[in-house]
Amino acid sequence: MKPFEVKLVLPVVVPLLEVVKELAVGLKHSHAATPELPGTDVIFRDLWKGELLLGQNEDLTTLLELFDDEFLKEGVVTFDEDNAELIIRACSAVRLRLRERYLQVLGDEALETGEVELAKLTEATRKAFMCYLFLATLQELIIQRIEGTLLPPDLH
Amino acid sequence: MAETKTHITPGQRTAAKLQLEGVWRVVVLNDPVNLMSYVVLVFKKVFGFDESTARRHMLEVHEQGRSVVWSGLREKAEAYTFTLQQWHLTAILEPDEAV
Repeated sequence: MKPFEVKLVLPVVVPLLEVVKELAVGLKHSHAATPELPGTDVIFRDLWKGELLLGQNEDLTTLLELFDDEFLKEGVVTFDEDNAELIIRACSAVRLRLRERYLQVLGDEALETGEVELAKLTEATRKAFMCYLFLATLQELIIQRIEGTLLPPDLH
Repeated sequence: MAETKTHITPGQRTAAKLQLEGVWRVVVLNDPVNLMSYVVLVFKKVFGFDESTARRHMLEVHEQGRSVVWSGLREKAEAYTFTLQQWHLTAILEPDEAV
């Protein structure tokens, strides 16, 4: 995958980053999705879960690094071979936590289809849902590049 | 504090060993969060599936709630389950009772 840049609209994205950062802190110590491994001993399970948590933390750190001081000046994020997969995994972790923490009220069907009446949501739920959509959009952009289904701008 | 001693009989040990041997299935369960395109990408990366196989398993997860994505020896099944969990898919291991 060739590196590519995306320019984001700062006034829209910055408030959503507050939510991402808040959830990322919580995810340092707990799994986004509870891992299941039946029939194994406690030490093995602890090692398994510990390794998952280490990987999750690395992914989240990579995601947060996108939104550094430089980003706050220009609103540009860069994806490349090294960070792409870590970022889409981190987006998945945060989206799972968003559902658990803020979006249960919407129901799973609405989350799957994305059909939600924003005007009827509380401010906190609306912000969480916008964050959920924003992270999905980042994932889609990266996946399209990885899959080669989105041509770079100079080839359009 | 009372101490409980557990004695494992040879029969129990054999049963446990057989349980860990044999054929195991890696099953992915549906979740409402992960994107279809994300799940397809993960299946392709983890198992080396082609596009149509990856999509078939993704749709099975989506429509039927679960899909058996791999079966074989326990150790490799564990490795696949771990990798899928790294990608935040709900993956479980279960013994293949048909074998």
